[in-house]
Amino acid sequence: MKNEVSIVSDLSCWASAAIYLMGLVVLAVNLKEVQVEDAASYNYASARQSIRRVETDGLRGKIVDRHGRDLATNRKSLSIVLNAAQFQKNSWRATTDEIEKEIERVAKCIGQESPLTRKSIERHVSQTLAMPLVVWRDIGEEELARFSEHDREFPGFKCEETDERVYPYGSVGSHVIGYVGRDRGESEAGDEKFNFHQLEMRGRSGLEIYYDSYLRGVSGERKVLVDARGFAIKDWVVVESKAGPDLKTTLDIDIQKAVEKELKGLVGACVVIDPRDGSVLALASAPSYNPNDFVPILSKELYAKYSKDPKKPLLNRASGGAYAPGSTFKTVTALAGLSIGYPQKRTYECTGVFKLGGLSLHCARRWGHGDMDMRHALRESCNPYFCNLGYEIGTNAIIRAAKTMGLGSKTGIDFGVDIAGVVPDAEWKEAVYHEKWFPGDVTQMAIGQGMLLVSPLQMARIAGAIGTGYLVTPRLKADIPTRKQKLPFAEWQLRVVRDGMEMVVDGGTGKKAKLSSVKVAGKTGTAEIGRGATKRKNTWFIAYAPADDPVIAVAMVIENGDSGGGTTAPKVRNVLASIFGDDNEE
Amino acid sequence: MKNKLKNFNFFLFGSMLALIAIGTVAIYSAGHARSEMIFHGMWINNLSTAIFGLILYFMIAMTNYRKILDFFSVPGYVLAIVLLIAVLIFGSTVYGGKRWLWFFQPSEISKLFIIMALSWMLGSDFFKKRGFVLFLICAAVVGVPSLLILAEPDLGTTLTLVPATLLMMLVGRVWRRGLVVIFTIGAISSAAILGAVYEAEKPDCPSQRREQIMKYVPLRPHQIKRVKVFLFPDEDTLGAGYNLRQAKISIGSGGYSGKGIGKGEANHLKYLPQAISMNDFIFCVYAEETGFVGSIVLLMLFGALLLPGAWIAYQSKDATGRLLSLGISTLIFAHVYINIAMSIGLVPITGLPLPFISSGRTFLLTIMLGLGLVQSVSIHREERI
Repeated sequence: MKNEVSIVSDLSCWASAAIYLMGLVVLAVNLKEVQVEDAASYNYASARQSIRRVETDGLRGKIVDRHGRDLATNRKSLSIVLNAAQFQKNSWRATTDEIEKEIERVAKCIGQESPLTRKSIERHVSQTLAMPLVVWRDIGEEELARFSEHDREFPGFKCEETDERVYPYGSVGSHVIGYVGRDRGESEAGDEKFNFHQLEMRGRSGLEIYYDSYLRGVSGERKVLVDARGFAIKDWVVVESKAGPDLKTTLDIDIQKAVEKELKGLVGACVVIDPRDGSVLALASAPSYNPNDFVPILSKELYAKYSKDPKKPLLNRASGGAYAPGSTFKTVTALAGLSIGYPQKRTYECTGVFKLGGLSLHCARRWGHGDMDMRHALRESCNPYFCNLGYEIGTNAIIRAAKTMGLGSKTGIDFGVDIAGVVPDAEWKEAVYHEKWFPGDVTQMAIGQGMLLVSPLQMARIAGAIGTGYLVTPRLKADIPTRKQKLPFAEWQLRVVRDGMEMVVDGGTGKKAKLSSVKVAGKTGTAEIGRGATKRKNTWFIAYAPADDPVIAVAMVIENGDSGGGTTAPKVRNVLASIFGDDNEE
Repeated sequence: MKNKLKNFNFFLFGSMLALIAIGTVAIYSAGHARSEMIFHGMWINNLSTAIFGLILYFMIAMTNYRKILDFFSVPGYVLAIVLLIAVLIFGSTVYGGKRWLWFFQPSEISKLFIIMALSWMLGSDFFKKRGFVLFLICAAVVGVPSLLILAEPDLGTTLTLVPATLLMMLVGRVWRRGLVVIFTIGAISSAAILGAVYEAEKPDCPSQRREQIMKYVPLRPHQIKRVKVFLFPDEDTLGAGYNLRQAKISIGSGGYSGKGIGKGEANHLKYLPQAISMNDFIFCVYAEETGFVGSIVLLMLFGALLLPGAWIAYQSKDATGRLLSLGISTLIFAHVYINIAMSIGLVPITGLPLPFISSGRTFLLTIMLGLGLVQSVSIHREERI
């Protein structure tokens, strides 16, 4: 017995015990490091791989006109969404198959085909698995009833209430209000802070895009717990989103309606502003479109219709259309002349044509107006008078006056579409046409032809500026402070042009704009573009009223009209009549 | 009977019961995280096996271990060899290894038979000379089944046999000088292999040099991959390093007091590799749910199991009893240490179960039978045949 024990010594037993103990202590020490000291970093790693952060939008603010009438608002809408976690299979392909099959089943039940393609389901499975997949958006009562009746047979599908944008006035004001859109996939891939952006709507055009972040309000946060394959297990709200504030605009939907009524069936644009503070009362472009077509998404057919239309209904001609101003620019030429001392009383004999070198410019009155001073030249829109005036005062004076009146630069309106137009000079012509500046160019420019390009918004602003003596910055949001700049012309100089413009309406080229209720001052314009067979005329009328204390300034252009006085002036008259009220409306 | 109860080691028995209870809960939690319903009831399998094991445990504990060894050592060893050969021929393939014969894993049971055979041999009077010849015999006794297990392949089981049998030979005074030399050579060559892989896989190592070094590394591609993960745990955490990374995240995010039983996220959201969360990685499930406190409780329970093993060896008056107790305790210790250490990246990842906690009926029965033998050593320490 003693002998045997000596083979395996007592020390062996103690040594083994020591090894066991040491091993367990080593494990304990290392586990303490992992579970206590580094716990925070592993916790973070755990959360990072299993939690998806989702940015959620608040209810989008409404867009209202100056009297608080809704131009863009929200309505409740029901969608059928699915959670892919219910349909997981061993492979992604099998999961996609299963989702497709289940959607097909629901489709049969509610009697509406699935709008999703195989590809979009695949994209959902590979990219946005943690989010619900919206299958049927904005379903009708009938579909809802059928779905609710059988919803127990479709685990994984549910009805969800969302808000859809709606534009109560349809196409009225569409270019200025704009529209929202949304990605088909509902959720956008994220950035550093959020894994997904679950945005209800995104401004795509007009005020909706310019004030998008304002209308969207404060976004909230939702967290989604996902498993190792990315399926959503549960989700909860971390930060509630806040509804966006309403956007009160300076627009007046009644005036907008009146304007669009006049433009109906035509191609053109019209801007109505309050020249005292720059408020845009109406901003219309024709033809227009219905922004409701874009919500929630524009159908393929409508997209084709809008994009293939040669009249380009999506184009905003009011602040984004570049037109030759034609004779309406003579008001600026007149101010240019007065500002450098050209005597207003000096007469020029109009013989019906102005000749300079090989160039001859005809007057509207073939046989001539005879002796003309500045007021009468404006009244009759006499081309030779202004060609001569331009020739005498030179290019620089006209350019200076045009720039003073805000041409060649953006108006500064709080709106995405705001073109600068073109006020050409020798350098510009050299750069664009590689041609020298000829004396003929200045005579052309003096009557608003040639290379000069302006937008209707710019011209409305000029009309108002002549009436008030102040050039205002137009604005659409109601609470933006007024910005205006006093014109650097003497009061008597402005008086001459105002007199001319009053005479235009009171028996001149624009007499069809005459109103009985208020005195209107205006200027016609007929810009000729192209030559020969493609020759067309864009007809203008700019006006302000009442002439003595202007509260309204208008600029309207009609493409392919007959003449400013014949085509456009009566339309402006109707717009003004609707504003001021007139008993003998045509 | 009264005499037997007097020498019954309650620590050894009590800690085993506690570990079985913990294991049942851990298997319940790990099983419920899986989508396949069959795993939801796995804890019942474990519990019923444990109850069956307890009956065998008492039957063995009440029998004199000397009788058992005299009777079963040789036929048991032969049976083990036969089963190991049978599994290579008839076994079913699971996860790339042929380990299953019908309903059990012969490699697990063979471990017990090898230790029994070795204790019986070294404890008997037949082998008086403890020199090189005995070493060769022992090496053959351990080596033949080990090679068969390696052929399955099941590196983990072989690995846990090495420390157990090496320790038994060492304390049994079998050619000690040679053993020390062999142990030293083994340690140095392991270090050399680690160093070589490290050198070759360093990010700035040119590919030509890498190939040159790799030619001399006697490891299979998947083993090199595991060594790489061990050496560079933060690289490729979505590929080869995924398992280790997820194991560490689940253990670490358990924090001080854990997330609560059944609330382990890494487990229930399936970030832990599902195929092994109930077996090789069950410690991660347990540690995430019970935290550092749970880990320490578990380690203390293993301590309460292993230290009595050494104590029983000390109390035992014959070499066979001592060898048996130390051999079985060391086998369990090797399992515990390697399993937990690999989960936190202290050793390369190797597939082997955590005693009592992992699901796996063959291994549970094996260690319960082994502990029954240790209990028998305790009970019958004063008796002679």
